Amino acid sequence: MATDPFESEALSFLDALYRTALRMTRSEAEAEDLVQETYIRAFRFRAQFTPGTNLKAWLFRILTNTFINEYRRKAARPDTTELDDVDESILYRHMREVSPGSSSPDPEAEVSEVKEALEALPEKFRTTLLLDVEGFSYKEIAEMLEIPIGTVMSRLHRGRKILQRRLYDVARDRGIVAARAMPRPAD
Amino acid sequence: MDCANCLERLYAYLDRELAPVERREVRAHLDDCAGCEDDFVIEQRFLDRVRDCCQEDVAPTELRTRIVARLRMENDAPR
Repeated sequence: MATDPFESEALSFLDALYRTALRMTRSEAEAEDLVQETYIRAFRFRAQFTPGTNLKAWLFRILTNTFINEYRRKAARPDTTELDDVDESILYRHMREVSPGSSSPDPEAEVSEVKEALEALPEKFRTTLLLDVEGFSYKEIAEMLEIPIGTVMSRLHRGRKILQRRLYDVARDRGIVAARAMPRPAD
Repeated sequence: MDCANCLERLYAYLDRELAPVERREVRAHLDDCAGCEDDFVIEQRFLDRVRDCCQEDVAPTELRTRIVARLRMENDAPR
């Protein structure tokens, strides 16, 4: 059978879709189902795709919509991060102490720390950050999530600050960053 | 541009979302201000670290096989 160009181009984004689905659903089985459903829908609605436009963005839009509409309700784990206020000036100091590259002596442990911190983010921040990680612009993310660009920017900002705090806490708990009294924010 | 204005644009700058004029203004401030430049470097490292950590997962081979089989079925099904 001759290879269908749409199919082969769409399949070139399989790894990117899968890793995003994995962080979204926080479950390998659900990520596989979500990705498969994304491809089936993409194939059924392929007539709606304009050749020459961004196929990756189109597929991620289907993935995101499918996740929000169908998988969100039965997510494997509930969100765990509390959304209390984050004092950014304090975080900045903390990140200074953690960076650069001093957060973990073990690269594999560091990768899991970041993934776990991402997966623990509340869904709307997590989804926005994951689309950013895949290289989409503010405008593309806004279109995929059907939210204003300003909301994309505030979710990225807040999501990143929560992530930094969690990574700092992990580093401190492991004794990589010395535990100390919270410094006063800079005046 | 002062430090507060510059830091307000930190993520938009690092995400390459600023208009060229604003980008040049931020760049000019960073060239003159070691404190802001420091913050930008730290944040850039953080963003790079998050991106790098997310890039390593690959889809299981069985998933690829299953999807290809399903797409062929869709293709063969009467429209």
